Amino acid sequence: MTVSKRSKPASVNPLKIGQSLGGVLALQGCYRALPIIHGPQGCSAFPKALLTRHFREPIAVQTSALQEMDVIFDANRNLEEALNTILTKHRPDIIGIIGTELMDVAGVDYQSMLKSYKRERNLRGGLAFSVTLPDFIGSLESGFSGTVEAMVDELIQQAGHRNQRSVNSRQITLLPGSFLTPGDVMEIKEMISAFGFEVITVPDISTSLSGHLLTGFSPLTRGGVPLDSMLQSLQSGLTIAIGGSMERPARRLHNAIGTPYKVFQGAMGLKATDDLLHFLHQISGEPVPLRYCWHRENLLDSMLDAHFQFAGMSVIAALEPDHLYSVSQWLEELGVEQKALITSCETPVVSGMEREVWVGDLDDAEVLGSGADLWISSSHGLAGAERIGAAFMPAGFPVWNELGAYMSTSAGYRGAMDWTNKAGNLLIRREAGRRESSVRHR
Amino acid sequence: MEPIRKDELEAKDCGSQAPKSKPCPRPKPGEAAGGCSFDGAQITLLPIMDAAHLVHGPIACAGNSWESRGTLSSGPSLSQYGFATDLNDNDIIFGGEKKLKDSIDYIAGRFAPPAIFVYSTCVTALIGEDMDAVCKEATGRLGIPVIPVNSPGFVGSKNLGNRLAGEALLQYVIGTGEPEDNIPLGVNLIGEYNIAGEMWDIEKLMNSAGITLMSRITGDARYKEITWAHRAKVNMVVCSRALLGLAKAMESKYHIPYFEGSFYGAKETTYSLRQMAFLMNDREMERRVDRLTEREESRLIQDLRPYRKILKGKRAVLYTGGVKSWSIISALKELGIQVVGVGTNKSTDDDIARIAERVGDDTEFIPEGGASRILKTVRDRKADIMIAGGRNMYVAMKEQIPFVDINQERHRAYAGYEGLLRLAKEMTYSLANPIWKLASSPAPWDKEVPYDR
Repeated sequence: MTVSKRSKPASVNPLKIGQSLGGVLALQGCYRALPIIHGPQGCSAFPKALLTRHFREPIAVQTSALQEMDVIFDANRNLEEALNTILTKHRPDIIGIIGTELMDVAGVDYQSMLKSYKRERNLRGGLAFSVTLPDFIGSLESGFSGTVEAMVDELIQQAGHRNQRSVNSRQITLLPGSFLTPGDVMEIKEMISAFGFEVITVPDISTSLSGHLLTGFSPLTRGGVPLDSMLQSLQSGLTIAIGGSMERPARRLHNAIGTPYKVFQGAMGLKATDDLLHFLHQISGEPVPLRYCWHRENLLDSMLDAHFQFAGMSVIAALEPDHLYSVSQWLEELGVEQKALITSCETPVVSGMEREVWVGDLDDAEVLGSGADLWISSSHGLAGAERIGAAFMPAGFPVWNELGAYMSTSAGYRGAMDWTNKAGNLLIRREAGRRESSVRHR
Repeated sequence: MEPIRKDELEAKDCGSQAPKSKPCPRPKPGEAAGGCSFDGAQITLLPIMDAAHLVHGPIACAGNSWESRGTLSSGPSLSQYGFATDLNDNDIIFGGEKKLKDSIDYIAGRFAPPAIFVYSTCVTALIGEDMDAVCKEATGRLGIPVIPVNSPGFVGSKNLGNRLAGEALLQYVIGTGEPEDNIPLGVNLIGEYNIAGEMWDIEKLMNSAGITLMSRITGDARYKEITWAHRAKVNMVVCSRALLGLAKAMESKYHIPYFEGSFYGAKETTYSLRQMAFLMNDREMERRVDRLTEREESRLIQDLRPYRKILKGKRAVLYTGGVKSWSIISALKELGIQVVGVGTNKSTDDDIARIAERVGDDTEFIPEGGASRILKTVRDRKADIMIAGGRNMYVAMKEQIPFVDINQERHRAYAGYEGLLRLAKEMTYSLANPIWKLASSPAPWDKEVPYDR
C-alpha cells in the first residue's frame, strides 16, 4: 500500500545488485549461450565471481574489455573484436550483448552496430540481441526480466509472421522469475507437466545451474533451454509467468503472436500453490495428481506442528521485489509478525502490496528490524542479523554461506514445507541457545 | 618450454613506479578474464579495517563487490560495510558531487572512522566529477583524512589498481603520523592482505624472533599504523607485482631498504626472516632468528612426514593469479610435488626468472589464462592436482580434477611453517577423497555386467 524510503545520502550495505548481473543470469538458462557485457572488465568479472560463488558452477560470460580511450574514441570497435573472437572460437547459439551504464552515459549506439554487424556477416541460425541494463535504475530482477523480454523479441522477429503459427494447445511456455532457484524451476515444471502439458521454460536455469557433471569444458553455457525449443515455444497455447516482473515478456508474446498468458505473483505457500494447481486443473481438465494432495496435507501438518514455534515471533525480510512479495505471502500464512519488509527498488508488485514496504539497503533492515527474531536475506545480511541478534535465514541472491542454497526449494507445497521447517528450526535453535546462556549467567 | 609472450615483456613496468604510456597489455575483448583497476584498488585498501570505504558511482561497483574478499579482521569491521553513493540517472545528469559530500558527512557523523577512502568509478570519472576537490574540502571541514582513490575500472587491469592504491597511500597517508613512543622500530609488510589470517601466522613468527611489525600494508591494518610507516627500518614486499613501486618510492623518499620475499614454504619463510634481521643490522636478532627457524624447520619435518609419503612424486599444475607463483613452487617442492605447469600471466620479469630457477625444463609455462588452456596442460602433463584460484575451482570440479584453492577467497592460511603443514594436509585430503572414484564410476545399470543373482 505504501512504499517508503529512509532518507540518507549514501547506500550503506547495499541490497541492490546491478541489473547486468540479472542479464547474465537469464542467459545462463539458455543452451550454448554467451553473454557479453559491453563495458570495462570489472563489469563482467564481479558478476562472474558472484554468480560462481552462489551457484558453485562455472559461469559463462565475456566482456568487451573497454579501456578509457576506447570509451572516448570508439567503444564499438572493442565489441566488434569481441564478437569476432567469440564467433570464430566458440560459435555460440545465443549471444546477448548487455550494455552497461557506462555505455549509456557515453552515449554509445551498440544496438545499430549489432544490426549492421549481423547484416554484414550474414549471421543466420543463431540468436544475437542487445539489451540496455544500466545499474542506476532497477535491480537484478529488472535486469533478468528485461533480458528475457529482449530475447523473446528477437525470437519473434526471427520466427516471422503470425499467420505461420500453428498453436499447440498442449504446450505451455513457462517464464520463471529471477527469484526462483533451479530447484524451484524444476518443481514448477514438474507441476505443470503433471497435468499432461509439454513445458518449454525460457530461460531454464534448472538444467544449467542445478549442479550436473557434464564433462568437457566449454566457455559457453552448458544446459539450459536450447534455441530450437525456444523457437518452438512460439507455438505454445499459453504462457505462464511466475513473478510480476515476468509479465512484460509474457505480454510481449501476447501482443506479437497472440499467445494468452497468466501471471502468478509467486508459487510459495499454501494459497499460491493452490491457485497454480487449481488453474492447471481447470485448463487441462485433469484431476490434481494424488501426490500433490499428499503434499498439501504434509504442508498443513507441518504448519500445525510449527505454529507453536512461530507464535509471537517477528520476522524481517530484505529481498528483491517479486521475492519479497512471495515470502511475505508465506509469512502471512504462518501468522508471524512482519516487522519490516525491505526491497531493492519499487515495482508495481510491491506498491500493490497491502503492507508497508521500504525501498532501501541492509542497514535500513538493521534499523527497522531491531528486535526481530528471524532475518531473511542474502548472505550479505549475516553480519546485520548478528548485530541485532536475529536468527539468520539465507535466501535470495547471493548466498555463499550455505551448501546447496541454489537447490533449496520454496515453490509448491513441498517447498513451503521445507521453508516452514527450516525457519522453525532456526527459531528452535535460537531459543535453545538463549536458554543455555541464561542458565550459564545465573 | 613454451616461449613467453611479447606482452609479458611489455607488462614488465606494470608493477613499477613510473609506467610508460601503455602500462599493461591491453585486455583482449572476447577473451579477457579478471578484474579491473577499481577492483585492484579495493584489494589493496579494504584491509585497512577501521577505515570507511565509500564507492562513488552507480550501485553495481559496490553492490557486486562488497564482502567478496577473504581478508580477516582481528577487531574493527567498518571496512566490511558496503558504502556507495548509489548514483541514479538524475545524479549523472546534474552531477553527483553534492551527494558525495553528503555521503562523506553522513559516514563521518554516524561511524566516526579514523579516515574515509573514496573510490572513483568509470561513470564518475567519465562525467568529470572533481573528487579530489570534494575530498580536500571534506578533510578540512571534518578534521579526518578523506582520501581520493582515482582508480576507475577502465584505466586498466587489477594490478594497475593495486599500484594506484599504493600511490594514494604514498600521497595522502604515509608520513602523516608518528609512531607512539613505546613502539620499537621495525619492519613493514607490503602487499600482504591477511587472506584467511595468514598475516597472523607471520606476525606470530616475527614476534617470536623479536622483530617488530610496524605497519601492515595492509592486512588487518589500522589506519594510524600506516601513517607512521615511513619510520620503519625495513620494508618487505610480499607481493611484488602489486606494490613494488610503493617500496621503491619509500626507499628513495625515506631511505628505507626493501627486499622481496615470501612466506610460502619453509625455505622462503626462513630466508625472509633472516633477511629482515640482516637488514635491521642487529646481530642479536639474527641469532634469535636462527634459533627460531632451526626449531621450526625441524619440527615441521617431523610433522610433514606422513603427508610427504602420500604427496611425493605427485604432479601439479599451478595457476595462482595473485599469489606469487615462484614462492608456491618452493613450497610444493618441499612437499615433494613436481610442478608440471605454471601460470605466468601475472608475474613480473623477475618473477618469471625466479620461476625458471625453481622448476625443471619439463615445466610448461602458461602465459595467458582461460580455463581451457589450463585444462589442456593438466591433461597433457597428466597432472594429479590443480592449484588455482576460486574462479577456476568449478572448472576443475566438472572435470573431476582434485583442486586446492590458493587465491583470495580461500579459507585456509598457507603462510609460514604452520601454513605449509596446512597446505600439505589440504592437498592430501583433496587427493585422497573418495569422491574421485565414486564420480568416475558409472551407475550399476550403465555397466555392461549382467545382474548377479
